[in-house]
Amino acid sequence: MSPLLTVEDLRVTFPTRQGPSEVVRGVSFTLGRERLGIVGESGSGKSQTGRAILGLTPPPGRATAKILDFDGIDLRAARPATWRSLRGARMSMVMQDPKFSLNPVMTVGRQIVEAVKFGATGTRAEARDRALAMLEAVQIRDPERVFRAYPHELSGGMGQRAMIAMMLVTEPDLLIADEPTSALDVTVQVEVLRILDRLVAERGMGLIFISHDLRLVSSFCDRVLVMYAGRVVEELKASELKQAQHSYTRGLMNCLPQIEGGQRPLPTLERDAAWAK
Amino acid sequence: MGEVMITVDGLEVTFRRGGDTVRAVRGVSFEVMRGESFGIVGESGSGKSTVLRAFCGLAPTSAGSVAMGGQGLQTPRSAAFFRQVQMVFQDPYASLHPRHTVDKVLSEPLAIHGFDRREERIEQALAEVGLGAGFRFRYPHQLSGGQRQRVAIARALILEPQVLLLDEPTSALDASIQAEVLNLLDRLRAERGLTYLMVSHDLAVVSHMCERLIVMQHGRAVEELSRAALAAHRAETDYTRKLLAASEGYSPAPG
Repeated sequence: MSPLLTVEDLRVTFPTRQGPSEVVRGVSFTLGRERLGIVGESGSGKSQTGRAILGLTPPPGRATAKILDFDGIDLRAARPATWRSLRGARMSMVMQDPKFSLNPVMTVGRQIVEAVKFGATGTRAEARDRALAMLEAVQIRDPERVFRAYPHELSGGMGQRAMIAMMLVTEPDLLIADEPTSALDVTVQVEVLRILDRLVAERGMGLIFISHDLRLVSSFCDRVLVMYAGRVVEELKASELKQAQHSYTRGLMNCLPQIEGGQRPLPTLERDAAWAK
Repeated sequence: MGEVMITVDGLEVTFRRGGDTVRAVRGVSFEVMRGESFGIVGESGSGKSTVLRAFCGLAPTSAGSVAMGGQGLQTPRSAAFFRQVQMVFQDPYASLHPRHTVDKVLSEPLAIHGFDRREERIEQALAEVGLGAGFRFRYPHQLSGGQRQRVAIARALILEPQVLLLDEPTSALDASIQAEVLNLLDRLRAERGLTYLMVSHDLAVVSHMCERLIVMQHGRAVEELSRAALAAHRAETDYTRKLLAASEGYSPAPG
């Protein structure tokens, strides 16, 4: 089976006063219908990688790649019309904070219905039914109330679920989730991840899960890319994270405090200039 | 040791606005010994930060009492109280004045409390948190998140307090920076015999930093545990067990 997404030598550059600054420097990977994690600290280029795939590199930044192929479509040469037919309908993105990614002056229901209409034909009643069904699928107990609610009337966990519902109602083939649960409490986080997990399993969606949380990613994803200073320094199976080879990955693992008690003082990360080469 | 530093007894905090009443803290009691590090764990809205704020007089106490060193506290708190109790906030991007240099940030508390040898104290405070004298005249935007949090810690310590209130001091930082800041806090406590009252949503961080902790939910303390009990996963209540399970990472739905 050919991969859903192929990325080769992706570079994202921003012009600065000191000359162009490359924040993503030659990232390559393929994605099938699986859960791929991208882990890194702030400034590692993980979010810019996700955005570049959707063609959402904020200007004046520029994204280039040798190959950027989504299900046979060359995204590098995609025209605005092509992007419009892809984004939302076949590939979508969940951002970190529902407070900033939902429209504050539109009810949640109207926003989801808008997404449904965008992707498909059908009557208004059908769109409404699909939106309600989707809200139910993301474990919202009272979908009718949430449908009528404005974003500020929802808690963080509810807002994030509504956001996920909106992104998934068009049944995309690829979902890019950029820190989808970082703003949520741990117990809510687990519920949201279970929803994503089920959708990958049931609908055969490809998921790119971007996070700074190595422990979470390793327990949730199938495969993990570890990014440092714009490069992928290591790619490994999530289950084999404990056997990581690269000293950055190992350092990142070791510096996390453990509930079971660990070293004191905590080992800190000795950054090696060679990692960024 | 053996001397009680912080006493919180049956604390209740109720916010009223219009017809709405929010009972943020509903009867929380604990004691922290001198030199001890005590943790409060809970999810957002559990009232954990409100306990800290009520202790230093930033939230109204509607019932119960708080005391320091056995002495009841008057409202508003005295200047002497703030010389002994200082707070480090969660977000180093929001808690430092963007147009004040590090020097200004550190000299203001000294001026307020009438300290002498200010030059010397500022240099010493910077050195103690691992920032060189070169950082003294920088603005917050010229610092990284970890460096900012070090400045916030230096600001708290420059008054030589006995108690440090830590409100999620590392949750805005990357894992590797978090380790450095936790180590710094650990070292300072050992060197100065400080008492910590730390609030966090992260069980691993609290279990690393604190000898004892309470778990809060909906404004109530549901459970008090020692570090050893937490490490052995000996939790009494379902809620604590749920938190423990969630902090291990993702697990597929049970059953």
